[in-house]
Amino acid sequence: MISVTDLLEDDRIPSNYFATDAYVRGDVELGILENRQGDRLIALPETLIQGIYAGLENETGQAAWLVLFNCGRWWGKNFYTRFQEAISGYYNKPLSEMLMVEFLQALQQCWMTHGWGKIELDQSYQQQGFLIIRVWHSPFARFALKPDRPNCHLEAGILASFFSQLARRELHCVQTTCESMNADCNRFVLGLHRRLEPVEPLVTKLDHEAIMQRLCQ
Amino acid sequence: MHPQLESIFDEAENRYLHSEELTVLSQYVNSLPERLETYRKLRDNELDMMQKVADQLHAEMPTEEIAVLELSIKNALLLLRHCSMGMLVNDVGFVQNRLLNWIGQTARVYNTQTVDARLYRLLNQQLTQVFTPKQLSLLQPVLTTAQTALLNQHSP
Repeated sequence: MISVTDLLEDDRIPSNYFATDAYVRGDVELGILENRQGDRLIALPETLIQGIYAGLENETGQAAWLVLFNCGRWWGKNFYTRFQEAISGYYNKPLSEMLMVEFLQALQQCWMTHGWGKIELDQSYQQQGFLIIRVWHSPFARFALKPDRPNCHLEAGILASFFSQLARRELHCVQTTCESMNADCNRFVLGLHRRLEPVEPLVTKLDHEAIMQRLCQ
Repeated sequence: MHPQLESIFDEAENRYLHSEELTVLSQYVNSLPERLETYRKLRDNELDMMQKVADQLHAEMPTEEIAVLELSIKNALLLLRHCSMGMLVNDVGFVQNRLLNWIGQTARVYNTQTVDARLYRLLNQQLTQVFTPKQLSLLQPVLTTAQTALLNQHSP
């Protein structure tokens, strides 16, 4: 016999924590936006992203992408901590015990609710030690300064850091396609640094499939 | 809140409301006591109704994996709770935004279409036994839309 009462946890069924209308809150009088944990949210104007890109390019030239990647890593580290706290508190179990589908849904909804686009994980290269991540409508691709190479360095940093902590191994992330280069979406390859490093210079020369073939040789 | 009502409130800075708009508002306000009563009844009968549905479902599908039946029941509980709220605020979109994409994905991954379809039939039978036709007419638009959307999401 199935007991319906036993299916409820404290009379509830945890579901969509990051549902936009439940997640984004605010205090109009104080002039702040908050998430449902009480952490502050801010609306980031596109022109600020544009300004950061242009300022970094002016001040640091070639190093701009590395700065952005490292900023992304910093962001990703903190994002993982917050995500993990929010989700394990809400589901009442550690992230490691969550079903893969629950984790994925939460991450996807979280990405959408923050306005970072739609994210999808592709595990078809898992056996070879790589995880492919696809992102549509990224706010970080739109104002690319160099349309001849993938430009979502911030995002690559976030993903590298987030999944490193999830996998408890230091992972690197290389972007292989970019919306700023008229690709259908932004593709990121996650894997060990020493395995990804050789293909990094190839992202301007080869397409995603060719890079994956090279990686899996 | 129902988008039509919500848009009425957005007009505050522009003009006073037309009679037709006030009629929409009055209709909603007049329907509130019945909506509240339906909501209370759903809340108070939830466990009893869903337990009957669960027992019937298990009896009708004895070879189905318990984990799949349980997932389907959990999703139905979520659906019913969200539809109750959607009925209260008269907003089908509430269920769509909060829940449908969410449980649609779980249902696709675990392939619960057959179980869900049977569960919805049993649930709807339970509802007709507990609620008056008037109360059902408040609940059904939200519930039917949500159930149809979820069953169609399964289709390739």
